[in-house]
Amino acid sequence: MFENIPCKNIVLETLNLEVQVRERTILQNISLQVASGEILGIIGPSGAGKSTLLRCFNRLSELTPGLRVRGEVRLMGSSIYAPELDVNVLRARVGMLFQEPVVFPVDIRENVLFGARRLRKLSKGEQDELVESKLREVALWEEVRDRLKQPAAKLSVGQQQRLCLARTLAVRPEVLLMDEPTSALDPRSTSAIEELLLEMKSRHSIVLVTHNLRQARQISDRVAVVCLRNGVGQIVEQGESAAVFNAPSAPEFRDYLGQASGM
Amino acid sequence: MTRVLSWLLSALAIGAFGFLLCVFLFQSGPVWQSEGTRYITGVSWFYRQDVFGALSLIYGSLAVTAVALLLAGPLGLGAAVFLSEYLPQKARLALKIPLELLAGIPSVVFGLLGIALLRDWVYRTFAKFDPLSGDTLLTAGILLAVMILPTMVSLCDDALRSVSGAQRQAARALGLTRAETIWNIVLPQASRGIASAFLLSVGRALGETVAVFLVIGRQDNNLPHPWYSPAPLLEAGQTLTTKLGGAETNIAFGDPLHWAAIMGLGVLLLVLTAGATCLGTLGRRRHA
Amino acid sequence: MRRGLDIVMGCVAGGCLLACLTISTGLVWSIARRGWGALSFSFFTEQIALVGASGGILWNLVGTTVLLSTAFLACAPLAVSLALMERVWLRSESMKKALRLGLYTANGLPSIVFGLFGFLVFVQWCGWGKSWLAGGLVLAMSMLPTVTLVVLERMAAIPQRYIAAATGLGLSQSQVAWAVLLKQSWGGLISGSLLGLARAAGETAPIMFTATIFAGVTFPKGVVENPVLTLPYHIFILAQDSFAAGVETKMWGTALVLLGLVFSMSVAALPSRLYLHEESDV
Repeated sequence: MFENIPCKNIVLETLNLEVQVRERTILQNISLQVASGEILGIIGPSGAGKSTLLRCFNRLSELTPGLRVRGEVRLMGSSIYAPELDVNVLRARVGMLFQEPVVFPVDIRENVLFGARRLRKLSKGEQDELVESKLREVALWEEVRDRLKQPAAKLSVGQQQRLCLARTLAVRPEVLLMDEPTSALDPRSTSAIEELLLEMKSRHSIVLVTHNLRQARQISDRVAVVCLRNGVGQIVEQGESAAVFNAPSAPEFRDYLGQASGM
Repeated sequence: MTRVLSWLLSALAIGAFGFLLCVFLFQSGPVWQSEGTRYITGVSWFYRQDVFGALSLIYGSLAVTAVALLLAGPLGLGAAVFLSEYLPQKARLALKIPLELLAGIPSVVFGLLGIALLRDWVYRTFAKFDPLSGDTLLTAGILLAVMILPTMVSLCDDALRSVSGAQRQAARALGLTRAETIWNIVLPQASRGIASAFLLSVGRALGETVAVFLVIGRQDNNLPHPWYSPAPLLEAGQTLTTKLGGAETNIAFGDPLHWAAIMGLGVLLLVLTAGATCLGTLGRRRHA
Repeated sequence: MRRGLDIVMGCVAGGCLLACLTISTGLVWSIARRGWGALSFSFFTEQIALVGASGGILWNLVGTTVLLSTAFLACAPLAVSLALMERVWLRSESMKKALRLGLYTANGLPSIVFGLFGFLVFVQWCGWGKSWLAGGLVLAMSMLPTVTLVVLERMAAIPQRYIAAATGLGLSQSQVAWAVLLKQSWGGLISGSLLGLARAAGETAPIMFTATIFAGVTFPKGVVENPVLTLPYHIFILAQDSFAAGVETKMWGTALVLLGLVFSMSVAALPSRLYLHEESDV
């Protein structure tokens, strides 16, 4: 049931990942792969542990007390849990976008530079250049070019999310993790973000957790379905998006699709 | 019935505090009339000659408070950073509770500890500056620092906790280290709350009486020359509160001008502490 | 470099916390070590002799208890009234705000100020001289803001729907105040009072001009010129004398007893405080 994709470069993969909160197992037997230049959608009912799973890929899970992760996660073939690896360097390589946009209480320009400026040395000219190029990349430049010095909190929520994306891109990540990035946004901002994702996937591999089945179907190349089986989150189905959606086989997934369309 | 009763009792309570304020203002009237602004700027206080200049007392209060804040501020903030940013919730509470208990140690007990432990230590440590005794402004300042430390830690920790976890996570997800997140995200966003913590601690330090009383030496008219000289720190001094707590208060009653001068010190103290507390509270409220 | 700074930061902050904890436990330890020897049954049942060098602290304990009881009785009704005022009777938001700010500010007022006020009003103007009643009332004033704020905090934590439900049943505001607000915030009054009393028990500045002397009295028999002995004043006076050997142990013993009294009151107030803090964290 787990197909391999040997013909492409594997960027991120997990092997038998298991997550426990205190003594309770919430995710188990998670094995998936993300190839370069693709969007992997992770879908499933709420409470199945999708967001937790995503946080294992950049070890942000370690900030949640009581969470234990077992198994293997490899980025470009090497383990992200290797003892000599600097977790902060890892997190710069694996960018993340949250459900609610989290802008920092500084101006727009500073927001874009927030991580980049501290991770590598940038001259004033390089900074200007970076701000412009990243804001262009997220299609925000034209909207904010005259007010780079204004507080980022004044932007609309959709603009804020794009700003957060620019901020993440500025630290040059190889993989982008997205935790329901459009669930707090209106339809227009949602389609703006979706277009960006499609555009960006040639440069970054993307893992997209989403509740929005239409979104998963339309923009992800492959999907992994995480559902509760015996009370534990597991991947019940995985494959090319079209195939998975057109011929769902796992009963949990069929239930979920039924509920989702019934709503 | 309930309504009338609670109106009456509240009026009584508020009236009592209002009366307190009026008593201080009116009773200190004569000294303002007789001394004018010299009461605040005057450098000498000789009650037998009816000379009342409170500057050295104000200086004493500010000096011990400054010493206390300089010592307890960084230490308390550092400890709060560790409590709030490094420790898991349970350990944080387990350490914070005893710290809050310690904030309740009576000031007379602190004074006793100051006499027993601190006085001689200051005398020995600063022996090369040749202090007359261990009873100095510095001793009082250090003692106050220890006294306000638990409050400082607790309030700073509250301020740091009020920064949302999402901000921390977003910064960490960008690849910033914990230290960078603290400096660039947590501390700037908590700065208001931290300022409040400092102000509330200042209010407490300014108003502390008995502990300071026991280790400060209570020497009148100790002022620095020039004004920035640190020399008086190693001499005995007097603060607004130690003056009020001393025997002079009993002597003064009956002599209208002298009594007014004493009550005037109360007014100065009220203004300073209420100002610090009020500002601190406003900052905290708006922050939370 | 960045990693190094990260580690340095952790060490510095951890060091600060360690220093705080060391200082604090060191203080308690040094009191306990010095005072332990004085504690005995007779220390609690005898009266002072030989200017503190001999005997016990019976009447100091009694006097402190008298002051605290008086303060509690005077403070509790006022605190509840003020809290009800803010919660129920005051209509305008700005009045409520002013009341709260006033309470917070009053909470930070130095205790010596209350002492002077009591000295002038009760001791001199009322002509009571040094009296337990003057001391109790002064302490009541100094702890009133703390107690009121704790009661208020507790009342504010009562879910609005209880109040709405009670009002919906047709209860008048007074009935709501009794049946919901007061009933649900008893714990707040108790823990607030314990906190206030813990602070008041150790206060010296407010009572030294108004209520307490060093030796020579037992239980007060009237109001005028009826001072009491107290624990903090006992320490305060002995601390100013040179430490004669016999006095020293007794003095530290008294400090230990006072500390025990204060801590046990604060600890008794803890559970309900913790419960509130946990709630508000969520």
